Amino acid sequence: MFELYWNAFATVLLPQNILAICLGGLWGLLAGALPGISTSMGIVLLLSFTYSLSPITAFCLLCAAYCGGITGGSITSILFGIPGEPSAIPTTIEGYALAKQGRAAYALWLFIICSIGGGIFSVFVMMAATPVMANFALRFGPPEFFALVVLGLSVVSGLSGGSVVKGFLACFFGLFLATVGTDGITGGERFTFGTTILLGGINFVTAMVGLLAVSEILAEAEEPFQEYKSSVRYKGLRDELPKLRDYTKHWFLLIRSAVLGTIVGSLPGGGATIASFLAYGDASRSTKHPETIGHGSEEGLMAAETANNAATGGSMTILLALGLPGGNATAMLIAAFMIHGMQPGPMLYASRPDIIYGIFVAMLMSNVFLLGLTIMSINLFLQLNRVPYTAFSAAIMILCVIGAFGLNNSMDDLYIMFAFGIIGYVMRKYKIPIAPAVLGLVLGDLAELSLRRSLLLSLGDPMILISRPISLILLLGALVSVLWPLFKKPKMLEGSENA
Amino acid sequence: MMKKGEIVLSAVCLAFFSFMFYEALELRGVGRFGEVGSGFWPLLSLGVTTILSLIWLITNLRQYSREKGNAAGEPPAPEAIVEAWRRRRKIALCSVCLLAYIILTPWIGFILSTILFILSFVLALEEKRKWVLIISPLLITAVIIVVFAKFITIPLPRGAGVFAEFSRFFY
Repeated sequence: MFELYWNAFATVLLPQNILAICLGGLWGLLAGALPGISTSMGIVLLLSFTYSLSPITAFCLLCAAYCGGITGGSITSILFGIPGEPSAIPTTIEGYALAKQGRAAYALWLFIICSIGGGIFSVFVMMAATPVMANFALRFGPPEFFALVVLGLSVVSGLSGGSVVKGFLACFFGLFLATVGTDGITGGERFTFGTTILLGGINFVTAMVGLLAVSEILAEAEEPFQEYKSSVRYKGLRDELPKLRDYTKHWFLLIRSAVLGTIVGSLPGGGATIASFLAYGDASRSTKHPETIGHGSEEGLMAAETANNAATGGSMTILLALGLPGGNATAMLIAAFMIHGMQPGPMLYASRPDIIYGIFVAMLMSNVFLLGLTIMSINLFLQLNRVPYTAFSAAIMILCVIGAFGLNNSMDDLYIMFAFGIIGYVMRKYKIPIAPAVLGLVLGDLAELSLRRSLLLSLGDPMILISRPISLILLLGALVSVLWPLFKKPKMLEGSENA
Repeated sequence: MMKKGEIVLSAVCLAFFSFMFYEALELRGVGRFGEVGSGFWPLLSLGVTTILSLIWLITNLRQYSREKGNAAGEPPAPEAIVEAWRRRRKIALCSVCLLAYIILTPWIGFILSTILFILSFVLALEEKRKWVLIISPLLITAVIIVVFAKFITIPLPRGAGVFAEFSRFFY
């Protein structure tokens, strides 16, 4: 294992990989900071740059963008009161309040150190947990894989944003899309309507570029660009340097938030937003100064920032060990694996440990470098009001086109991207969540093949799915995951009707 | 307030998924002995989407009729109608620009189509600043060509005939 780490450090610390981490981190910070660009969209747009890169350099770029995206959302929250990412909303409440009190530099320092600390903590947890989980998952056969995918899909109720009917509709739509093309077992055509364009199936990356990026630009085009006007006094980070005691006096809260963030991030459908809100809620309940909550609470800010960055390591753990994406951003990382001819999961851990350990080190280095990158880029973000958003949108659209085209050098993919862009826009317009469709599309193929292989093994007896203990436990977990929100919030179904 | 568009969308979803379900029925029985075959999974996913679309449509219709009964009958303000129309036009123009870009690129090449696309796209977004209109198409296209055609060597379309000759000057 030490040899693997040694080799991974030697590879990741090569100049081209360090450059990739710096560029990816900066792009992630920018994508996270701009309200029109989400972290997942930032990763989508980077995919086209990775086609000619080696796998490790590509993952250095993408991991840094992922960590940077989660971090960047908080810079504009503190300086402008505009959350770049939903996970930065608690930071907007507390950080912007602190900034308005003339303590912007202090709020930025709290955010930077806690974010990076939370990120590094979760990377160490990822390093420890991934091998254990992957080795356990190596025992899985087709029934267990099917149950695992069902568990992954069962989080739809959590991703539905209050509309369970629409969430499941989107999920099953994604599962249907995954069946288009040539059947992996019989070789027969499905839903191709005699065309060659759909023979190879709907390319996952092309569909994602359309659903996540093109649709987002179209949706943003509808609204006037949010103006960055700061009403806070900020002269520079040297304005108010924090003391070590500012962090150590909240050591228990910080550890709690980091653990909470990592655990929530590792749950399929969890992620940075839920993690930051849970940690913020925990800080609000445990603080000795409840009157400060909502008015510039240090504890609220520190807890939320620690937890949302800690979620990145948790999400990466289940992605690398089990091949399950927790959300859009990690789903896009699956696309990156596919571009380089790999499928994340226990088999990859067994066959290409160099890649897995390389990603561990890339995540660690991304967090370390983000400390400097964030400090350096704050002044850059103060110039965001000068960005001509119209030209920026056009440039992003061209990156989408190149991303979709560069995969197979085919113009047909661009028509598919366009179609999914329109579908994604309509979904956004009518509040149909996109994340479940992404999940269905990513996991659909594996779910179908695992089920059919299971039934081939049992000569058509479906009891094989519940007669094996691991499979049974996973399926029960999926059942609880689906039913729990329905019993917990019985009005969710009504919400779907009203949405 | 329930949007009429949502009722139309749920009806379109129902029609689409029902049609695909009907298509999937032909896949029944395709497969090896002892396995569920090619049609099982599509029938399952399309069956569920059809049922969910039906539920969505019914709830939309119920909510619409309920709201219609309770509505105070205040028509939307003219400014709101104009604003909604302006937004729709913006989205339509942006979509047309993108589609035209995709169609034109194989014919006139990546460079010219990209310059035209950026110009038309920023105009569709109601950009009026002259420096953005003049500089951004040229600057963005130049950066994209250097990065993707020269550095990453993606074989971007060169176009046909005289346009291909033009593109060869650059990549």
